[in-house]
Amino acid sequence: MSKVLMKGNEAIGEGAIRAGCRHFFGYPITPQSELPHYLAKRMPEVGGVFLQAESETSSINMVYGAAGAGFRVMTSSSSPGLSLMQEGISYLVGAELPCVIVNVMRGGPGLGNIAPAQSDYFQAVKGGGHGDYKLIVLAPASVQEIIDLMQVAFDLGDKYRTPVMLVGDGILGQMMEPVELADEVTVPEIAAKPWAAGGLQGREKPNIINSLYIVPEDCEELNKKLFAKYDVIAAEETRWEEYRLDDAEIVLTGFGTAARIAKSVVDKARAEGIKAGLIRPITLWPFPSEVYARAAEHAQKFLCIEMSMGQMLEDVRLAVNGKKPVHFYGRSGGMVPLAKDVLAEVKKIMAGGAE
Amino acid sequence: MQVNIKPITIFTANLGSGKTEISINFARMLHRRGEKVSLVDLDIINPYFRTRLAKDNLASQGLQVVCPPGHLVNADVPALTPAIRGALQAAEGYCVCDVGGDDVGAVALGAYKPFLPEGRFDLYFVVNTCRPFTRDFDGVVKIMRSIETNSRLKVTGLVSNTNLGRQTDAQVMVEGYGKVSEMAEKLGLPVAFMASPGSLVKEVAARLPGVPILPLEFYMKTPWEEVCGEG
Repeated sequence: MSKVLMKGNEAIGEGAIRAGCRHFFGYPITPQSELPHYLAKRMPEVGGVFLQAESETSSINMVYGAAGAGFRVMTSSSSPGLSLMQEGISYLVGAELPCVIVNVMRGGPGLGNIAPAQSDYFQAVKGGGHGDYKLIVLAPASVQEIIDLMQVAFDLGDKYRTPVMLVGDGILGQMMEPVELADEVTVPEIAAKPWAAGGLQGREKPNIINSLYIVPEDCEELNKKLFAKYDVIAAEETRWEEYRLDDAEIVLTGFGTAARIAKSVVDKARAEGIKAGLIRPITLWPFPSEVYARAAEHAQKFLCIEMSMGQMLEDVRLAVNGKKPVHFYGRSGGMVPLAKDVLAEVKKIMAGGAE
Repeated sequence: MQVNIKPITIFTANLGSGKTEISINFARMLHRRGEKVSLVDLDIINPYFRTRLAKDNLASQGLQVVCPPGHLVNADVPALTPAIRGALQAAEGYCVCDVGGDDVGAVALGAYKPFLPEGRFDLYFVVNTCRPFTRDFDGVVKIMRSIETNSRLKVTGLVSNTNLGRQTDAQVMVEGYGKVSEMAEKLGLPVAFMASPGSLVKEVAARLPGVPILPLEFYMKTPWEEVCGEG
């Protein structure tokens, strides 16, 4: 093992390679362009395929093809690019194809700007594309966690035959932190995919990859099958981090970069005598609702911090279920909450001043 | 730091090797000596963590920062201001250039070749041996040569900036300096200087006597470092 100083975007690329991904299709967009830049150099070194498509729409459909053929495959983009991919994502779900889709979010709506944001939460966890479906959505908060979660992302995708999304923001993508990396790249064992369209290999009937279910009864069966799968995922794959939560009177919560800021505020608030704690969802779907419900038994107040106008806030309120007030502090459009402003909000709430 | 400094000092490197922090601190060092200094942001590669974002802070210290005007500061466009030529041709004072990462970033530098007569500048290649692609000699040579090709200029020295971000300690820097010195020897180039966080300069200097060290104060920070620290 050795320590390497990596940008978040580079870590997504290296993490994918370590997880056995050898196929990448994408189109550059700030603030994630270091990822295709990195993989353009790295994929040839490990015998993989890097292909810059002519658009995000093409990229996601190339992912469909590679996933259908049974390969570990990834694409990445930033907010507007993800909007373009939504049709393809819905098709991937309909055909039950595993893949990893990365969104390094930027300021929106519209063309917006290249500054960091978290305002694609709804798009990631509430659909985005058409039809009844969920994606497993992973939200790392450090460069090391990116490396670790890339392996998880590919494994969960294969295990449940579902697309997995990894979300970050411009700060997480651009910042550099040391990561532990094995000196040798080893290809992990990947379970066989008997459903894949990878040649007959002795079988009589070809495997067909398709998301067309022309008989409504069949399509309803697919939906039931998907949701039975989602029940298992929710029961077994929910991930979160708790920090100084046991005796917390105010619970801060957020994901990714916002959680990192919130964590520093928890320490600062504690140093000033305020019992603060943190819940950081690592899976945005499945959302760790039970952790909030438990915390609502003893904590007095909640404060959700996001780089948006308040999206995860809705899931936090559903989880707290009216037992305690859930406040919100957010910056949007590419602006980032400052720790000192969040701390001021915590003080105001604890003094009973904020509603 | 006692080194011979030419009128123009240019920093290039693999993406994310610390060029921007080194450029800023190098310019500040000259400024503190009472020299007239302009700091040129030639980074057309990455709109995050680049010199122009620290412009107000630096300008308040009296440093002249040459970068695109206000409304274009956050634009993801490869804009270079005409003021750059002026800074390169200034009859007096010093010019420090922060060039964007990799061979792609060096293309911008190549455009200024007519204003860079031999002997008037140093072109330094910054190496962090903890970064992907520059962990060994072959990696460094590959990237350095591609930068030379695209900038149409020859590197005149290496700068050792081996670090692990906020986890850097003296041992990491000393080992990195050793590796960079070996690479420089094979290349027939000098190691111009090494960089170190200000708080660790004494410890590093004690272990590497005689090596010029540029103390670094950090300008590019994450939002949780800006105010509270990470605890």
